Amino acid sequence: MVFAVIRWVTFTYTIAGDRLELTRAFVSRSVRTIPLERIRGVDVSTPALHRLLGLAVLKLDTGAGGDKQEGELNGVTVEEAERLRAVLLARRGGAVVTSEASVSAGESVGSEPVEEHYYVRVPRSWLRYGPLSGAYLLTPFALVAGAIGLLFQWGDEFGISGRDAWAVGEWLWDRPQYLIIGVAVLVLAMPFVGGVMYAIFNWDFTLRSRDGYLVAERGLINRRVVSLERRRIRGYELAESPLERAAKLVRMWAVVTGLGDSQTRGQLLPVSPKAAALAIATEAIGPFGTPSQSGTSGQSGTPGQSGIRSQSVAALRAHPAQARRRRLFRAIFPWLLVAAGAAVLGWGVVAMIGFVLALVGIPLGLDRYGSLGHGYDGTRLSVRSGSLRRTQAIVERRAVVGWTFKQTWFQRSAGLLTVIAGVGAGRGGYAALDTGERQGVEFAAEVTPEWLDQFVIRS
Amino acid sequence: MSRRALTLWFIEGVVGFVFMVGGAALLSLWIGSWTWLPAWLTDRPWLVPVAVAVVLLPPVIIEPPLRFAVHRWELSADVVYARSGWLSREWVFVPVSRIQTVDKAQGWFERALGLATVEIRTASYAGSSTIKGLDYAVAARLAEDLSHRAQQLRDDAT
Repeated sequence: MVFAVIRWVTFTYTIAGDRLELTRAFVSRSVRTIPLERIRGVDVSTPALHRLLGLAVLKLDTGAGGDKQEGELNGVTVEEAERLRAVLLARRGGAVVTSEASVSAGESVGSEPVEEHYYVRVPRSWLRYGPLSGAYLLTPFALVAGAIGLLFQWGDEFGISGRDAWAVGEWLWDRPQYLIIGVAVLVLAMPFVGGVMYAIFNWDFTLRSRDGYLVAERGLINRRVVSLERRRIRGYELAESPLERAAKLVRMWAVVTGLGDSQTRGQLLPVSPKAAALAIATEAIGPFGTPSQSGTSGQSGTPGQSGIRSQSVAALRAHPAQARRRRLFRAIFPWLLVAAGAAVLGWGVVAMIGFVLALVGIPLGLDRYGSLGHGYDGTRLSVRSGSLRRTQAIVERRAVVGWTFKQTWFQRSAGLLTVIAGVGAGRGGYAALDTGERQGVEFAAEVTPEWLDQFVIRS
Repeated sequence: MSRRALTLWFIEGVVGFVFMVGGAALLSLWIGSWTWLPAWLTDRPWLVPVAVAVVLLPPVIIEPPLRFAVHRWELSADVVYARSGWLSREWVFVPVSRIQTVDKAQGWFERALGLATVEIRTASYAGSSTIKGLDYAVAARLAEDLSHRAQQLRDDAT
């Protein structure tokens, strides 16, 4: 407590010219200087306790990578956090304006109306999709584990000794029906508690644009505002589980250069209907599937939501039949091997499990093949793969910093090639798995002909 | 690619081989007392290092020439192209304009053989390339050229 007070008293921040200085002066003195132009995003959140006291936590994303490198202002008032965010981001955005203008804008921006445009205010009815995503499903177990941990740590204070806990454990062990009922209750509580947690975190999700930034805001108790600099957004990624695919739902996050943990911080939408998500991404970041440069078949205006969906799927090219064989082999063979090995050793149960998993591998492998695809529309390239977690990345051409082609010995005998587009954002590389040898090379040459044409002999 | 790279890969292979067989030999000292293993193995623990040696020896011998046949690099029209691997293969294309750092490194064996490695880094692991086994003078010139040219072409799109 005393430490907290001293830390609070000794921590100061100042905006000095074009720098933000964070000074910590308790015993040892440390000054962290962050040039304002390095601040690439500001993340404001208000955890429950902070909220009660009207405080907020400001996190500054400096693109340096690593938590230690980032500036954090803990415990400023909500209004001050809002003002700081506006000032810090306005200066950043003011890079195109003259420096004078940006300074004056920075000083008065708190009161000036800023141009805002809402892409989406997620309706509360979408919260019901949460449990389908499997998010927070393990929460009941985590809560129980946490409670037990707490009991062991603090039990003595409440007059509960380790021996009592042990006695309770033994009592339960002798009456397994109670244990089973307990576990069953927890399992049944999974979707419910998971849904509640999901709703708390994703309450009233909004996505808007605000001078050069995409701002995502969410949360019931801890209201979190993440600002992503538009200039650094290179594309977006979509992820779906089979359940979500059946319900036509998708999760989506932005691919941003120099942003760590992009799946959480770059989150653009909660679990949403796919058609709506694609329409929002198209509006907020950019389309995939309507050639914007060549303009051969691009419809002008706003294409219907279903239109976008079919286009983005159609724009992906399928991979050759050998890729299907490889996916199937990889999904089935290891389990068959386990089953065979277990059968030889006489472990009947293991052999059965291996065999069943091998059978499951058949639809899984086919679906993995079905997911494979790659495409390029003149501005953005896209790759898709995966079954239990199907991900599709849509990334701007200019974000590509290099190409890696990989071919294992098995791929070589099957005439397949994995093409990885190196991107200085998001996951770092996006792979088109098992393309045909010629297909893969031509894909890369199509995206960046100026680099690859000299090495490629076209048919 | 210098011919001495063959020697380098061979030495590296032999070192790895010695470590693996040595490890297996150490393991075989314990094996005699492991009752859960079949008797024919616990009676003849020396089988383990021998098996490891038999499996690992062929790669040590065939890897260097295979690698030498595959490994190539080229710098043309401001794109670095490097091919590597032996059983699996990897082709990397890095445009000079996207290069962030160029490192020139030398390990023990490389120093003894007068070889060097050039590491080309971009903002992404998948756009980064390592060219091993270059003649030292060639590596030095390549690194020099690349960093010089990269500065001229610097493109901050990423």
